[in-house]
Amino acid sequence: MIMKRLAAVITVRRGIAVQSFGYARHLPIGDPAVIAQTLDRWGADEIILNCIDRQQAGPDYALLDRIGRLGLATPIIYAGGIRSHAEGVQAVKLGADRVAVDALLRDAPGEIHALSESLGAQGIIAALPLRLADGKLLWRDYRRQTDSPLGETLLQTLAAGRISEALLIDWQNEGSLGGFDADIIAAFPISDMPIIAFGGANEPALMRRLLGLPNVAAVAVGNQLSWQEHAVQGLKSRLSGLPVRHARFAGPEVRA
Amino acid sequence: MTRRTIGIVDYGAGNLSSVQHAFHMLGHRCRISGDAQVLDACDMLLLPGVGAFPKAMENLIASGLDRYVVDAARQDRPLLGICLGMQLLVDSSSEYRLTAGLGLIPGTVQPIAGARWHIGWNRLETVSDDALFRASDRESFYFNHSYALDVPPAYQAAIARNDAPLVAAIRRDNVVGLQFHAEKSQAAGRALLAAIIEGLCP
Repeated sequence: MIMKRLAAVITVRRGIAVQSFGYARHLPIGDPAVIAQTLDRWGADEIILNCIDRQQAGPDYALLDRIGRLGLATPIIYAGGIRSHAEGVQAVKLGADRVAVDALLRDAPGEIHALSESLGAQGIIAALPLRLADGKLLWRDYRRQTDSPLGETLLQTLAAGRISEALLIDWQNEGSLGGFDADIIAAFPISDMPIIAFGGANEPALMRRLLGLPNVAAVAVGNQLSWQEHAVQGLKSRLSGLPVRHARFAGPEVRA
Repeated sequence: MTRRTIGIVDYGAGNLSSVQHAFHMLGHRCRISGDAQVLDACDMLLLPGVGAFPKAMENLIASGLDRYVVDAARQDRPLLGICLGMQLLVDSSSEYRLTAGLGLIPGTVQPIAGARWHIGWNRLETVSDDALFRASDRESFYFNHSYALDVPPAYQAAIARNDAPLVAAIRRDNVVGLQFHAEKSQAAGRALLAAIIEGLCP
């Protein structure tokens, strides 16, 4: 049976990995490539490279190329600044295994069709920063700093079978401890779409609850995983009983 | 270990660097090329693939590499297909529209039964006594696909279980296919790739 995943998120701003709080405040951490190498060795199930300041500049190809050349053996999901089918394809050519799109869903949903023809639906993830207000989901537009209901166009795009998973981002709780609002998942209207939950989903008890939901395929965790030695294994050891991959050191053999 | 040269068939499919680095990590050389002369000098051919079947076949045919790969396999040269590269090895696919494949192993590519996708880590179950896969039984590998193979049991080497069993690895003599991304499957993937090179390259 397919296992639930623990994805590690590297949030990148101006080429530097940052700790992010609610997508509003950021503290520098270091070189995203070094962090990616570490997470690869520690056995993260996936690495999400989330470049949050690429709306104007487009995907960070230079960073992707640099990380691609490291030869990591962990799947890479790239998110950030993908504005067209061609940019999504290029991100994969440079080393991403899958891409997550956000602004493309608003600006050019028709491009999703072409992207799917090139990458397959399995290669495309919808990144949706959300919050709940009066029981209704609101979709955050980072560029305009506004929220709006999930529109018909978005719902049709999600339901069309051209996107394989939804990265539901509780942006208000991002960077908080144990803050992910599970009601966001309950309110998400595409019931058969696998979900990656991100944003404050870092406490083992909450992770266990989220991963226990049938439509949650993965929980994504930010910098908590890159600070402590073997953090991935440590966290997974606290998720015993769930269908998650056995955690073990995944790097090259270390000889005494 | 004998150092081998792996010819990564470049037909415009994405993410060639991942497989290239995986083989480098194992101590082998790689040549990424669509040039027959370059690929002729390699010990094993690797057919990578990310994306959709029709576009991949279109690219292979446009570059003439479809005939090259088929001829090489029929001359008993080792050939490994990964993910979409594995699906290209069979007769046809119904992804988006009916498209002919390379026809090196009997079979078709169909939508996954009982699910829309098969994404993430899943355990391999060997279903043959093929030595290439013996050490990988019960190991976890990374899958990322929405279509799956339907091939006769004689060519099945391993399966994975989703809602229904999925063909995860196939083999016909010198031709091997892996539905999962061994190059993205950490230690288990490296061990399997090493066994395949060792087993296929004389």
